[in-house]
Amino acid sequence: MKRITEFLEALGKSYKLVLETLKVGFQRPFDSQLILDQIYQIGVRSIPLVFIVAVSSGMVMALQFGYGLAKFGGKLYVPKIVSLSIVREMGPVFACLMLAARVSAGITSEIGSMKVSQQIDAIRALGTSPLKKIVFPRLAACMVAIPMLSAAAIIIGVIGGLIVGSMELGLDSQFYLQKIFSTLKLHDFISGFGKSFFFAFFIATTSCYFGLSVTGGTQGVGYATTKSVVTSCILIVVGDYFLTKFFMVIEQWL
Amino acid sequence: MVVIKVKNLSKKFGGKTIHKNINFEVFQGECLGLLGGSGAGKSVILRSLIGLEKPDGGSIQIEGEEIVSKEEDQLIEIRKKVAYVFQNGALFDSMNVYDNLAYPLKEHTTLNHAEISKEIHKLLEEFGLEGTSEVYPSELSGGMQKRVGLARSIIIKPKIVLFDEPTAGLDPYNTIKIQETIIKLKQKGMTSIFVTHDMPTAFAVCDRLALVQEGKIACVDSVSEIKKDKSNRINQFISGIYI
Repeated sequence: MKRITEFLEALGKSYKLVLETLKVGFQRPFDSQLILDQIYQIGVRSIPLVFIVAVSSGMVMALQFGYGLAKFGGKLYVPKIVSLSIVREMGPVFACLMLAARVSAGITSEIGSMKVSQQIDAIRALGTSPLKKIVFPRLAACMVAIPMLSAAAIIIGVIGGLIVGSMELGLDSQFYLQKIFSTLKLHDFISGFGKSFFFAFFIATTSCYFGLSVTGGTQGVGYATTKSVVTSCILIVVGDYFLTKFFMVIEQWL
Repeated sequence: MVVIKVKNLSKKFGGKTIHKNINFEVFQGECLGLLGGSGAGKSVILRSLIGLEKPDGGSIQIEGEEIVSKEEDQLIEIRKKVAYVFQNGALFDSMNVYDNLAYPLKEHTTLNHAEISKEIHKLLEEFGLEGTSEVYPSELSGGMQKRVGLARSIIIKPKIVLFDEPTAGLDPYNTIKIQETIIKLKQKGMTSIFVTHDMPTAFAVCDRLALVQEGKIACVDSVSEIKKDKSNRINQFISGIYI
């Protein structure tokens, strides 16, 4: 019962945090440099990680499907299955899970350390808002950088599949590409890419919320960071199911 | 003229009562020292005065304006005239000394880059911190961090300054530097509240001393009276009879 109460309390506080952040974030003066700095930290510096994860997952999927489907004479279906899986699901989900680990840990520990060293109080005492100076730039940067990284992960993952398909499975690369383009539709991309905005929102709000909730010194920072990463990952994985359903409904309208 | 008026202030953390009924006033240009044992709630009083902590009850008036009921965004104007000097300086560790000092100026003034730079270098010189503008807080000594913290708090010339143990853990040189700064600010007419355990500094800078005990202000007296009367409760606290 206590856990449910805590969960509902955290949900309510996160909701309030987002509302207040959006309220102060768009007020003048608008400091775009803070957002650009965070886009660099969250986005640009995550590129190697996303590249490795995306290309590896694309290659592994092509390899596994290649050997699995070969048993049933279905190797020719590898381009369709791999590209569809990556575009609709694996590309954004894998990328966002890795980003949840990197970005959530980074944001929560940074904000948490600022909280325990009274820097957050100092921002308030100097007549400024931590929501505007700290939370909003991170939220905005996540909403920009994470979908872009997810889109890159989708493309890189498909290319990874193509490399293994042509080099390991002996499929003609022209054939592979042709199958990708004939299989994939715009709504497949929208479904995968669209989810990444929600995942970015989960990552940003969770990590900022846990960072600002830190109590009890450095041990508290570690505890909050762990909770933040775990919660972000759970939200992505569980949210993915509902978002898939949601985008399926949207696809029917399109 | 009363600048700060605190009436029936109460605060609990969890089940623990910190303040039952705090009442005091601070007059224009005065420095009031707050004394009390560790955990008596002296810093909580300071934090409440600037809205960093919400009291459970009571009233706080800054220049006649009630602040307890104010929301965070309404407190910004109050925080421009009331500065808070944190015990550890609370400098932004991702910024160098220059940017730390520039922060309030960029936020609350219309000064251009050249004027900000001039203002910062003047203050660094005043505080004996020349040559530190490019240095990051982690590279500064504790005493220097506190001096930068103090400089950052007063750079936009607030009317009131709240000092939270500014000399705690400092060597005599840094203690005297901070004492001198506070005395200079007082001479310019600044009102302040000074939380401390450092009695020589309290006697040097404060006009009156108040003792926080059992969630109340147990005694308030002028420094000259306290020095004269050995049986005074504050004197007994200083001698270790009351904690």
